[in-house]
Amino acid sequence: MILIKLAYKSLLNRRGSAFLTLFTIAISVMLLLSIERVRVDAKSSFSNTISGTDLIVGARTGDIQLLLSSVFRIGHTNNGVSWQSYLFIKQQRGVAWTIPLSLGDSHKGQAVLGTSLDYFTHYKYGKKQPLTFTQGTAFSHLNEVVIGSEISSKLNYQLGDKVIISHGMGNTSFHHHDEDPFTVVGILKATGTPVDKTLHIPLAAIELIHGGGHSEHEHEHEHEHEHEHEHEHEHEHEQHNENLTGEPKQITAFLMGFDSPLYTLQVRRNINQYKPEALLAIMPGVTLRELWEMLSIVEKILLLFSSIVVLVSLLGMLTTLLASLNQRRRELAILRSVGARPWHLFSLISIESLLITLFGCLLGCGLFYGLMSIAAGFLQSHGGISVTISMLSHYELVLIGAIMAAGFIVGLIPATRAYFYSLTDGMSIKI
Amino acid sequence: MITLNNVLFKWHKQQAKPTLSIPALNIADGEHVFLHGPSGSGKSTLLSLLAGINTANSGTVKLLNTDLAALSNRKRDVFRSDHIGYIFQNFNLLPYLSPLENVMLGCQFSKPRQKKALQQSASLEQEAARLLTALGLTTEHHQQNAANLSIGQQQRVAAARAFIGSPELIIADEPTSALDANNRTAFIELLFAQASIAGSTLVFVSHDESLQSLFNRSISLSDITEQVI
Repeated sequence: MILIKLAYKSLLNRRGSAFLTLFTIAISVMLLLSIERVRVDAKSSFSNTISGTDLIVGARTGDIQLLLSSVFRIGHTNNGVSWQSYLFIKQQRGVAWTIPLSLGDSHKGQAVLGTSLDYFTHYKYGKKQPLTFTQGTAFSHLNEVVIGSEISSKLNYQLGDKVIISHGMGNTSFHHHDEDPFTVVGILKATGTPVDKTLHIPLAAIELIHGGGHSEHEHEHEHEHEHEHEHEHEHEHEQHNENLTGEPKQITAFLMGFDSPLYTLQVRRNINQYKPEALLAIMPGVTLRELWEMLSIVEKILLLFSSIVVLVSLLGMLTTLLASLNQRRRELAILRSVGARPWHLFSLISIESLLITLFGCLLGCGLFYGLMSIAAGFLQSHGGISVTISMLSHYELVLIGAIMAAGFIVGLIPATRAYFYSLTDGMSIKI
Repeated sequence: MITLNNVLFKWHKQQAKPTLSIPALNIADGEHVFLHGPSGSGKSTLLSLLAGINTANSGTVKLLNTDLAALSNRKRDVFRSDHIGYIFQNFNLLPYLSPLENVMLGCQFSKPRQKKALQQSASLEQEAARLLTALGLTTEHHQQNAANLSIGQQQRVAAARAFIGSPELIIADEPTSALDANNRTAFIELLFAQASIAGSTLVFVSHDESLQSLFNRSISLSDITEQVI
């Protein structure tokens, strides 16, 4: 007990250097915990880019290619799914909902997605969070567009602005559908997923701007009777949805939800063996995890870097303790003169390093929670990472335990030196 | 209490002339001995032998009938903290502890001394306070930082630290060298009083021969050492 008191009082006496050492450890603990928490939450958020969707169905390619093209809007599939196949699969037993997706057009390099109104009710991300609007509503006419939060902030679009869609992807698309401008009617709340970078238009409008389905005249006609169209809101939702969906020849992919998870595997097998067309059904959660595994090298590098930061801070503590030890030979000799044995001094220095590491870890945890609460909003809106501010996980506690153990081991070096100093110095306090 | 027989000590084995050579020295229980000699005469070396910090190359050094050379390093450490109180020339207080804590430190590493201290007072803190007050340090100074005390006050704290737990032997290594004559005499009288209460033998080392009249025995190091040519 006396040794703990002495160690504490001695550290307090050297509070400047002790606090700097402690703070260095605290910063490294904060970094390690933050990186670990962001890594775990990034993994979870990545897996939750799409949630609540049981299957994604597209033309037969690779699992990851289908996921990348349909969810992340990266790359594109060469083939689509015929409308007949879509309707056939949609009517299978257990299917609760489907969302058709038609990709391929763009606006200033940002993906344009043709879909149905079901997208705004059934599409979920994160922890089964639905899409919500910061302004406006979902499209109710063929010439209306709902934009993601990043499109709104980046391109400075407001409700009522006109948007021209280009054919194909990229910023320098040569073919603009100038004759078919869309009006922004809704802006979605930030999700941190590719939805933020997407412009959503009715599926039927995709056909329309490519010259299929409705004629141009019909489109114009629709414009002329916009006022009249307002009254059509009284029509049944399904009827309205059908008007906005149309009957395209083919779509890029579609999302499926089932009444019960039991249907998922069965329908998936049926789709993958579907004879009239070569289709592929993937379970997004599984494929997302496979994709994350491919990126695991990044998380390993992050963990390596934060471990190096911890190591450097512990070496800093070692340097400080060793440097101060020479100045403290007199203090140690005084303790020897009042009866402290060499092992007492060994224990004293070990306790000091343990105290520094312990308080460094505690302060580091405090800083970690502070940083997480400040950065949570930013990470969600800019990185799409939904950070959970909860108690330390078992693994995080193991990490802190490892730091404490490493701090103790590092502290043994100056402690051993103090032991031998005290043997050679004895009680001759002429240092 | 202290018995030295044919003690020979060299700092280095190759040394031709020994640093200290004492054929015989006996100090009885409860004696207040003044040990003096010029600088370099071997006073500090003798103290290091009495405290068991160094061991004689030949001969025996016995304290309380225990041959110090026969003890292992660890046992010598324990023996020292149980039976010897040390007052240093420059007091050697820990600056980050209060006077009370510095005094208590004197018996923190010795169970027998703690036991003896607790026979005197209800707690170590009360015993430390009692000793400090007896040595003339008023209670308002008991809790303040030791580094902020005057030289005289620090000296009293160092003395109280040596006396706590009533060790059988108190070694005072020139503790009055920084004091004027009046304060020196007053401090030595306080030491005598406390040594008598604790029943401790006092070995007071100084090169200032004017103090020898205050002690009941005075030993000149040059008288007891053998002249080696």
